[in-house]
Amino acid sequence: MSLRFLRVMASRWTRLVLVGLIFLGIQTTVLSEMRPFGVMVQLMLLIGVTAGAIYGPEVGALSGLIVGLMYDCVLTTPLGLASLVVGGVSFGAGLLPFFVRDPSWWNRAIVIALFSAIGEILFPVAQGMTGLGGWVQPRMFVVALVVAAINLLLAPIVTPLIRWTLKQTMIG
Amino acid sequence: MAVISPQRRRAIALLALTSIIFVTLDLQQSGSTSAVRSVFGVFFRPVEGVARVVTRPVSNAWNGITNYNDVTAENRLLREKIAQQEGASVAAAASVRLSQELLALNGLPTLAGINSVSAQVIGDSPSNFAQSVEINQGSESGIKVGMPVLNAAGLVGKVTKVFANRAVIMLITDPEYALSVKVVNTPKTTASTVADPEAALIETTTTVPITTVPVATTSKIPGFTPGSTVPTAVITAPNAAVAVPSLTIPAGSSLAVRETGVLEGRGPTRTPIVRFIDTEQRFGEIQLGSPIVSAGGSLSLAPPDIVVGTVTRVNKRLGTAGPVLEIGLVADLSNLSFVRILLYQPITEQQAP
Repeated sequence: MSLRFLRVMASRWTRLVLVGLIFLGIQTTVLSEMRPFGVMVQLMLLIGVTAGAIYGPEVGALSGLIVGLMYDCVLTTPLGLASLVVGGVSFGAGLLPFFVRDPSWWNRAIVIALFSAIGEILFPVAQGMTGLGGWVQPRMFVVALVVAAINLLLAPIVTPLIRWTLKQTMIG
Repeated sequence: MAVISPQRRRAIALLALTSIIFVTLDLQQSGSTSAVRSVFGVFFRPVEGVARVVTRPVSNAWNGITNYNDVTAENRLLREKIAQQEGASVAAAASVRLSQELLALNGLPTLAGINSVSAQVIGDSPSNFAQSVEINQGSESGIKVGMPVLNAAGLVGKVTKVFANRAVIMLITDPEYALSVKVVNTPKTTASTVADPEAALIETTTTVPITTVPVATTSKIPGFTPGSTVPTAVITAPNAAVAVPSLTIPAGSSLAVRETGVLEGRGPTRTPIVRFIDTEQRFGEIQLGSPIVSAGGSLSLAPPDIVVGTVTRVNKRLGTAGPVLEIGLVADLSNLSFVRILLYQPITEQQAP
């Protein structure tokens, strides 16, 4: 029993939840006030997409679904919507190694930025599909562009952190 | 493509399925999703609190860098406005008091008769696609979903999610927001003077001044000394032309016409609009600056006569579609600190005891 508990606590997913909580705390406090060009930085999307770009589609999808669900809990949109979007784009970002053999850091940064933009466009579209229309407007492309640019800058900083977070340990 | 392990495939499928179920349940207003959010909040709030304290200097520095010029300019403008409005506010307060007394005298509901809870805004929406804020009061203070939220200026939004000690407010600018409103249109009129048709039939009692003109005449009648003057003749003549009696209709007598419509938010970068305004003749041409107030009624979540904004633009449409009005909100939604939640529920929402 204790060994199982230890394995759960030491697992990469537990670490992801804990790191996700800290990132979500930053997202809902300082980043909700710091809005460059009126756009909020999307850290939760960044985590999921970075996980995909580093560890491939399956880890990316799982990470995206988990952090997306955490993000959902503080949003007013239907629970599970951000989870599906972040999970989907993280899976997409995980396909990078199948197109670029041994991707360099800047390859990853570009993919992270690209899929962040896609995720930011897909989110209002998904809202519209569930009946919450009104957000599909030209502004979403501006938002996607700004989010992509910021995530491009943040990617080299966040990548080592996510690599450590999702690293498989002997116990986990 | 590498083969995904069956175990992970199952995990991905399970999580995706869970998300879809959650979306479905949430759209059906299920209580289970609120429970999930509440449980998550128990773990997340302490983390958020710590993050808020730790990152406070960073956000203060950011606000200092990006907003300094705006704040100084705004401060100067506000000082001027305060000076201008100090006198006007006294007169306005007297008018409001008089209006409330009249409404109370006639047994009509007033905003003053509705209890309210004050709350502090503790956070903005952590998304680019939602216009909401979080406040530090919840169901323990009597707040319920749907209650209207105001600040000192006017309507801000409505309560959409309630927890024990906090609540989420959907702002007016959110595309999901809709409210029945009244446009108080005052057609442009000036004091006019018209000829009174009945006046011609009535004998006037106007006193006309008479001018007496002494006239000297020379007489050849015996017994009269030449050069003497005969008694002065009196010639009566009306002074000037008598003005036709008329009626003066002051501008104030043309009462404001109210017409209902539906206010809809359109996101942070676009102003809200009012649609479904009936193009009745009596409503006349809608004037810019006409006030928009909540319509109230048994189905509306807000009581009547909460100030929402003013008409900033009228987009006319052909046919019977009616105009679309763009609204300048009186409340500054970008800088909310304290809000007031009216503990108001329409009759249709009240549960039988």
